Amino acid sequence: MTATRNLVERLPNDIGGLPADAITRVEHELEPWEKRCHALADVLDFRKLINTEEKRAGVESLGSELVGKLTYYERWIVAFANLLFRKGHLIPSELALKMQEVEARLNGEKTGG
Amino acid sequence: MSTPEHDHAHAPVQQTAPAGYYEIMETAVRELLIEKKLITAQEIRRQLEVLDSRNPALGAKVVARAWIDPDFRQRLLADGRKACEEVFDISFYDDTQLIILENTGKVHNLIVCTLCSCYPRPVLGLPPDWYKLKPYRARAVVDPRSVLAEFGTEIPADVEVRVHDSTAMVRYMVLPLRPRGTEDYTEEQLAALVTRDAMIGVVPVQAPRSAP
Repeated sequence: MTATRNLVERLPNDIGGLPADAITRVEHELEPWEKRCHALADVLDFRKLINTEEKRAGVESLGSELVGKLTYYERWIVAFANLLFRKGHLIPSELALKMQEVEARLNGEKTGG
Repeated sequence: MSTPEHDHAHAPVQQTAPAGYYEIMETAVRELLIEKKLITAQEIRRQLEVLDSRNPALGAKVVARAWIDPDFRQRLLADGRKACEEVFDISFYDDTQLIILENTGKVHNLIVCTLCSCYPRPVLGLPPDWYKLKPYRARAVVDPRSVLAEFGTEIPADVEVRVHDSTAMVRYMVLPLRPRGTEDYTEEQLAALVTRDAMIGVVPVQAPRSAP
């Protein structure tokens, strides 16, 4: 058996049955953007733009490094962006421009008090 | 069909705080989709209200009704979604099916989603973080008794523990055992005893303190 066999047989999300640490009963109140991200996921599903399984697979296809380092809703929004690019609903450059605009607006609001 | 990823990879990197980057991305994606009329701002607002309206108190009402009303219990076990829709007017906004798992003197049920975080959101709201993290997802399916022990729950050896792995389309909720000493309780008093974790199956519903 080769050492990499488990990487072939299991994608990053497929962790059922693997050894793991003791459970720590962590919980947190969602931040407003996290809750909006959840609402966005539901609306994308209603509108048949991204369904639950596409979302799950989209998170998985981020790869194990991103899956491991990003928080739950960080993974979701990055996966949504990638899926929307792939489906032709968004273009990477337009998202980049929009993010610059949003950042300037949010930062402007902060400094302007 | 691939799109160039370069712009995406480079352009937004001049961010400040890492948390801000993803919030900016969420805002930008949402606003672009609204501008393109693929979604509306009102849909997002409405769904935020729906999310706020869902919490374990809703599931607790369903459980309490099932304890006191055998006909409802049968309906609930036959088709969880239909019973919740028809009797409690709970909308299944995520279009999932709901299977109710009845705990008995012989069977204790536990729910998990090994692949991600599927959860009966319409009746319980959003899942706790530990439900979405590796230790619970990885271990619940192979070693449920020690997982339960970490929640302080010991299931007698002669009681079978059944673990149910949720999917995108099929969600589960546990109907816990009604604790002893609650024979005189009203439906509201019963509902107040039922916790989120009991409906996940990691703890029993505790008998009231005044119980014999």
